[in-house]
Amino acid sequence: MGTHGAGFEMGESTPYFLPKLSHMTAPLDSIPAICPELGIEVPVAIIERELHKLWEQDDATTNASLMNLVVYSEKAGALIENSAIIRELTREHACRAILVGIDRHEPEPTLRAWITAHCHLADGRKSVCCEQIAFHLTGRVTGRFRNTVFAHLNSDLPLIFWWQGELSEILTERLVSVIDRLVIDSSSWADPAASFTMIEEASQANPDLIIQDHAWTRSWQFRIGIASLFDDPIAQEALPEIHAVEITYHPAHRNTALQVLAWLAVQAGWKDAVTDAGWAFESSHGKAISLKLSEDASGPPLSSLVIRENRTSVQVTQKAGSSHVERQVETAGYKASSLSPIDPTSPADLVAIQLSRGGKNSLYQKMLPRFRGLLVK
Amino acid sequence: MNPFREDLVSRSRPEPCSIVIFGATGDLTHRKLIPALYNLAVDGELPTGVKIIGFARREKSDAEFRAGLDELNRKVSRSGHDDEIWDSFIQTVSYHTSEFTDPDGYRRLAEKLDAIDAERGGKGNRLFYIASAPEFFDEILIALKNAGLNEAKPGCWARVIVEKPFGTDLATAKHLNQVVNDTFHESDTYRIDHYLGKETAQNLMVLRFANSIFEPLWNSKYISHIQITCAENLGMEGGRGGYYEKSGALRDMVQNHLLQLLSLVAMEPPTDLSADGVRDEKVKVIRSLRQWDTREKVAKNVVRAQYTAGHIDGTAVPGYRQEDRVSPTSETEAYVAVRLLIDTWRWSGVPFYIRMGKRLPKKSTEISVHFKDAPCVLFNALSGGVPGGNVLVIRIQPDEGISLRMVSKIPGTSLRLEPVKMDFHYSTSFGKGSPEAYERLLLDAIAGDATLFARRDEVEEAWKFIDHIERAWHESDSPPVMAEFVAGSWGPKEADELLQQDGNAWRRL
Repeated sequence: MGTHGAGFEMGESTPYFLPKLSHMTAPLDSIPAICPELGIEVPVAIIERELHKLWEQDDATTNASLMNLVVYSEKAGALIENSAIIRELTREHACRAILVGIDRHEPEPTLRAWITAHCHLADGRKSVCCEQIAFHLTGRVTGRFRNTVFAHLNSDLPLIFWWQGELSEILTERLVSVIDRLVIDSSSWADPAASFTMIEEASQANPDLIIQDHAWTRSWQFRIGIASLFDDPIAQEALPEIHAVEITYHPAHRNTALQVLAWLAVQAGWKDAVTDAGWAFESSHGKAISLKLSEDASGPPLSSLVIRENRTSVQVTQKAGSSHVERQVETAGYKASSLSPIDPTSPADLVAIQLSRGGKNSLYQKMLPRFRGLLVK
Repeated sequence: MNPFREDLVSRSRPEPCSIVIFGATGDLTHRKLIPALYNLAVDGELPTGVKIIGFARREKSDAEFRAGLDELNRKVSRSGHDDEIWDSFIQTVSYHTSEFTDPDGYRRLAEKLDAIDAERGGKGNRLFYIASAPEFFDEILIALKNAGLNEAKPGCWARVIVEKPFGTDLATAKHLNQVVNDTFHESDTYRIDHYLGKETAQNLMVLRFANSIFEPLWNSKYISHIQITCAENLGMEGGRGGYYEKSGALRDMVQNHLLQLLSLVAMEPPTDLSADGVRDEKVKVIRSLRQWDTREKVAKNVVRAQYTAGHIDGTAVPGYRQEDRVSPTSETEAYVAVRLLIDTWRWSGVPFYIRMGKRLPKKSTEISVHFKDAPCVLFNALSGGVPGGNVLVIRIQPDEGISLRMVSKIPGTSLRLEPVKMDFHYSTSFGKGSPEAYERLLLDAIAGDATLFARRDEVEEAWKFIDHIERAWHESDSPPVMAEFVAGSWGPKEADELLQQDGNAWRRL
């Protein structure tokens, strides 16, 4: 790779020509025309032509793309943060990345764009690069934003739309109609019940829309741990007689805990119930199942999920600071445990996992109505 | 049924079990099996409560056995070596010293397994992995039966995985199948062919049956011929000559791996994705192979060869007969090319060519589907015609991927055509590495999914085809010649002529 000014940026194993910023929270209005993280500023009307030039300058690269990945944020400084995330994501997920930073409080409508490419060595040989276009919009943006994004999608490739932060009216029916996958983090919402109403409307506008929620992804190892433990005939035998579920979570991740409870209830066929001690579940043959939710502000999003029967208990736990989740099944005179990796916490890792899994995420859709019911309890 | 498994993992339910590995001190256990089980643990796929027992003749303590596994896992594990997970995993591993024929050794093994089961209220599943040298397969199976270890306890299962080679000819394969089936039910028998666990091999069915554009073209109307190549640049390093002298390229690779690939390429769509649904269709392909059952047919359709001294990557390498542990008068083939015909409606008249060789220029396994030329009008009527037809290449290893060659106009005012290539690489499109074949296959066996394992009839039909060729080579009064090629070249000229008789040529890799 040469030291050309078009904006190729190589991974750590090869030299790159622009210095990286050590601090990535520059305010949007201070982004220079040539920005180490975002590449070079180009007129919006000639973005595709400028991208084409990028590839012409060096024939030793492969332009790879399996999807359009739009990252939307209204947070100041998010463009530069998200560019760093895309640099990591493109190691495993080739895409055309379109970053959108919005400042709707600026009265003057403006639109600026930067282009760059994130390059990584594949198998230590070939340089594989992914294009990135970054847009910064100010003022009233709804229509301009949508059309700007539509104009720069790679045709025929799926559109993954990662919405960061609170939902807003910009998530219109027309925008939703072209999205294949909407990535959200319901843990970041101030009013999850209201926001999930918007998600329901989006799903009605586009029945094929796949929702991927970071809050749900954070519980993956816990859910697969429970599922794996119930493969054991010992745990299976205990399933009809379960009488207690205990879950410990970080206060910022209540949605994750409630989603796990909703999932357990939906899959095991437990109905909602109310007892003197508060809300609870009831098994399909009438057995009361108590619920105990505890907060632990010093722990990970989920630190413990215990399911109890008289003789047998099944539990998945993650200690604060640990890099592993422990699965355990215990019955009279027998205890077996194993370790598995913890769920990721960074947004980039969560998105990477969601992209790796693909699929319809039908279990999430199945769990969602029950979860929304728990939200208002 | 486990209600919590829905949508998390698509495969069947992997239950806790005791895994007994026969041949535990061998290379396969250290380099493949234990790292595969460890990586399953890392991915959270190995059921909690699995116990692993290494069974071998050499005296060792648990600690010595574990130390050896630790040392190699650090070098070869796909996902690296996480000390905390390893420490937890290795606690489940123990060592059992016994001769393969010693009834007392099996009695002690049974006691050990019963003790493990006792912790679980007397219940326990068992998976026996026979990874020993093939001459012990019979004895191990018979000893397992005599010790009653082949019988599952009520509500539990007992399964066996048998490594290749599954026999050395049809008679020995039938015998081994009989011994296996006298010991375990066929539904509990898993004959492993690690090629079927490779990501690209699994993708073959997806490519064919999940894309509507290929299947309509996948027949004799549009396909000229299909080539399956397995090229290796290595020779008989590391003492492999001793084993190879007894097997040869045909039995070592063609009978199992390459015929399995052939069956995946040529089979009809299965009625479902169940193990028998898929294997029913695969075996029909092998059964439909036209048999080369005379010396003349073998001479016309099969080429065998040995390499002479040459150079690979600039390094001088010896000829086959000069290799370590190879007889100077060896009649074992280190290269084989076979022309096959499948007598089905779909493939009538379409030749399939399989070639496998040692000391070829590079390591590569691929399937190439060569489509017929476009009709001879328009561009084909131009001087020079169209430069080559469409070729779909499925690369199995290394650099797994798929490419499609097609013809394009060269930019300019004149009408000139050149072939261009659309290329898909797993490594660039999906940065995440694929699991090792053994990981997938071990988990499938634990979960009771035999789709990627060979069934008895598949193995026997394959041997039936191979036996005719072996007999012509070794039992005929005037056997077909053993051709020669220089190490580092793409095989003997006789192999080129094999395709030339049909107007075809080997694809240049």
